[in-house]
Parts: sequence; C-alpha cells; structure tokens
Amino acid sequence: MSELLGFSNVVSGYGDARILHDVDLTIGEGERVAILGRNGAGKSTIVNTFLGVARRTAGEVRLLGRSHPALRYFTAARVGIAVVPQGRRIVPNLTVRENLVLGAAAGRDRPWTVERVFELFPILSERANSLGTALSGGQQQMLAIGRALMSNPVLLVLDEPSEGLAPVIVDELALVLRRLADTGTALLLIEQHFGLVHRVAERYYVLAKGTIVEDGQLAGISAESLKKHVAV
Amino acid sequence: MLVQVLNGLVYGGLLYIVSVGLVLIFGLRRIVNFAHGSLFMIGAYVGFSVAAMGGFWGAVLVAALVLALAGALLDVTVLRPLQREDPIVTVLVTFGLLLVLENFAQFVWGKDFLKMPVPAMLSGSVSIFGESFPAYRLLVIAVAAAVALGLSVWLRVSRIGLYVRASSADPLTTAMQGVNTDRVSVVVVALGAGLAGLSGTISAPLLALSPSMGSYILIESFIVVVVGGLGSFVGAFVAAMVIGQVHNFGLVYVPWAATMIPFLLMVAVLIWRPTGIAGSHV
Repeated sequence: MSELLGFSNVVSGYGDARILHDVDLTIGEGERVAILGRNGAGKSTIVNTFLGVARRTAGEVRLLGRSHPALRYFTAARVGIAVVPQGRRIVPNLTVRENLVLGAAAGRDRPWTVERVFELFPILSERANSLGTALSGGQQQMLAIGRALMSNPVLLVLDEPSEGLAPVIVDELALVLRRLADTGTALLLIEQHFGLVHRVAERYYVLAKGTIVEDGQLAGISAESLKKHVAV
Repeated sequence: MLVQVLNGLVYGGLLYIVSVGLVLIFGLRRIVNFAHGSLFMIGAYVGFSVAAMGGFWGAVLVAALVLALAGALLDVTVLRPLQREDPIVTVLVTFGLLLVLENFAQFVWGKDFLKMPVPAMLSGSVSIFGESFPAYRLLVIAVAAAVALGLSVWLRVSRIGLYVRASSADPLTTAMQGVNTDRVSVVVVALGAGLAGLSGTISAPLLALSPSMGSYILIESFIVVVVGGLGSFVGAFVAAMVIGQVHNFGLVYVPWAATMIPFLLMVAVLIWRPTGIAGSHV
C-alpha cells in the first residue's frame, strides 16, 4: 500500500506561534482515517501545513510519497489531494456550477465531471445556476465535496464536515462518504464529533495540544479517550 | 443637452478603463496600486511618441503592449513580494513608484505641456440628432464600450476569467483548487496596466500631457472604485458612468463646484452604503 499523505516530525504554526509539535502520521491508498481532537487541538493546522498555509519549521511533509520542502497552495490539489475546508469556503460570487468547474482547476482528468457530481447530489443540479452561498448548510457541504471531487482526488480530506449539520444530513453524508470510499478514494476525516467518524473511518489519530497522543484501529478506541478527546 | 451627455460618456468611459484596471489589481492582489495613475500617464507619453513616428493606431497598440509588459514586471517584482506586507508598506511603495515614474516622464519628455493631435481620419464631426459631435470623442465612447463588453465576456466565459473572479473573492480557496493564483495575477496586472496604457493614449488627444496628469486621474479613479464598491467590475462601470455625467454637468452648470462634486458623491455613498454600489461582490 503506497502512502498518499505523510508527516514526519512536523513542527509548524503561524508567525512565531508553534501549533503542531513533532507530528507523525500516514495515510495510505484507499484508507479511511480520522483525526480526532477538541477545538483548538491543532486539527486544521494539519490541513494548513500540507497546503502550505501554515509555516513548517521542522520535519517532512510527503504528498504521494514525495517530500515537498516548499509547498504552494495549489500543490496538494494538483497531485490528487483535495480538501473540503472547514466552513466549506464556497466562493461567494460564483454559481453552483462555476464552483464545481473551479474544482477542476487542478487539471486531473476523469472520472468526475459536473454531470457526475449532479448525479451524486441531485439537489445541486436543481440549483446549478444559483449562487453557491445561497444554498443551505447541508447543500453547501455537498457542493464543497462535489468541488473537491472535481479534481479527481486519490485522497479526500474533510475538515469538520459535520459541523453545523442536522443529524439527518450527517447520516446522508456518511452514506455518500462510504460510497466514495468503495470506489477506492482514500478519506481523511478531521472531526471533533464522533457521529460521522464511527460510521466512516477505520483507523484514527487523536490530536491534543498539537501532538498526536493516541492512534489505532477505531474499533478499539476506549470510552475514556472518547470522553477526553471528542466533543459530545 | 445630448452633447453634454455624450461628453459625460467620454469622460466616464476613460475613467472606467483606468478604474477597472485598479479593480482587477485590487481583486487579485488586495493592493491599492497608487502607481496606476502613472501607468496611464506613461501610456499617454508612449502613445504620443509612437504616434509621432508610426501613426495613431500603431501608438494605441504599442502603448497598450508596452504598459502590459510593464504591468507584468510590476506584478512579479513589486506587487508579489508586497503581498505579505502591511497595507501601509504597499501604499508607500506604490506611491513612491508614482513619484519615480513622474520624474522619469519629466526627464524623458520634459515639464512642458504636450499636445497630441487628433488622428486626421477622426478630426471631423458627426451630426447626431441635429447636434454636431466630434468623431474622435465617439471613438473614445466606442472603445470604452468595447472594453466593458470584452472584459465582461472574458470574465464570464473563459476559464481564466472564472479563476480571476474566484481569486478576487477568495484567493486561498481558489489556489486550493489547483489554480496558480500568482500566474493569474501576472495576467491580470498586465491587463490592468495595458488598459491604463490604452486609456492614456486615447485620452492624449483630449488632454494636455504633463507628468502630473496621472495623479489627477488616479484620484478620480479611486472615487470610482470606492463609489462602485472595492473589487466590483459592474460597480466600477456604473460609478464611472455616473461620475462622468456628474463631472460634466458640474462643469457646465456649477463650474465653481465641479471638482468637488465627485468627492461629495463619494462621501454620500460612504455614508449611505459604505461597501459601495455593488458591495464587495463582482
């Protein structure tokens, strides 16, 4: 199994502030991994580090097995790692369709097209010409996932995807993610809630105060660590 | 009356071509480019010199191309490194550039006012509903309309236009999709500077050329951008048209207050709608 995303002894942060200390993690082809942690544990900084938004001061970040000393914002998408960012970040002045077309900017071909995303999320097709930000929270999450799929990723990273969604929408999201995983797309879920994670992931890391404090198979996670590191 | 409206369109059109460049550059780089007025001024002088040798149409083309090239250079060497700096640093640097370019123009073309002749082919007048109007001024309106139409089609239809619109709203998210926003920015700053060069040249037969002409148009363009809404192309178009009319009717009916009116309009818009006519959306 080849590695899609890897961190070795990564130290990173913003300006002079260090957020991540000595982080090691690895996600392989087709895996479904979760990073759990409370608010402020540094979860989003993991995403920001491989995107090149946070400044890495030590350690190594590998994308598809290749070390990248200087990451640009667009590098991850171009090698096949797509991010569904926290808060969705739907581009406000673009329509639903335009947001999807923007997702194809990485120039990676097949199999996803706007039409296939519409098949996966029919509601998006009904609202194709509305502004992306006119959609409801759940629909925006679908749009953000659809946009990420348009880059035909081998790894889909979702930062707090269940945030602000009604439980019934989270159920729907879990089904969609399982279906994506069945097609071979690896998933990395970054969550502080367990609801979505336990239905999708098979392996987990726990992040606390910027360090990985625990990892293992999700089936074996203890009630105690759930209580300590996961929001109810 | 009709002539006044048309004259307002001429001035509004010129303002639009300059301001839309400012809007494009602000959208992509989040930098208020104080040097933009001097790009207009250099465009006028380059046009003046080329027209003396190769005719008016060649001058328009050369000035636009030379300024576009200068814009690309400006983006790579000045605006890109300034991106992570405090806004006040970018203001100081681009303002410094304005002074340098003014001195450069003074050095090359001298302090005296220069006058570029209207191209012979367009030196006559046309009769519109019984009123006579200079043909050259009609050309200026047509060029402004063509720029507005061309830009909006480019922004709506082309893939790079989509990237430009997306980056001006959210550069980080756009880059995360795989767009090299630095490269988009070079294209956009080159385009903005090229348009400044174009408007400089086509306005040269209407204005007296002087090294300080850039500062005047810069201030008026800022008013357009603020009234229209920072970063809005549609807003800039509407605001340029309104200010063109206000400016012109002001000159005719209340000459003593004419220069003040655009400022008053800006103040009114800032009070009534601080984000400008079109808010911060394209």
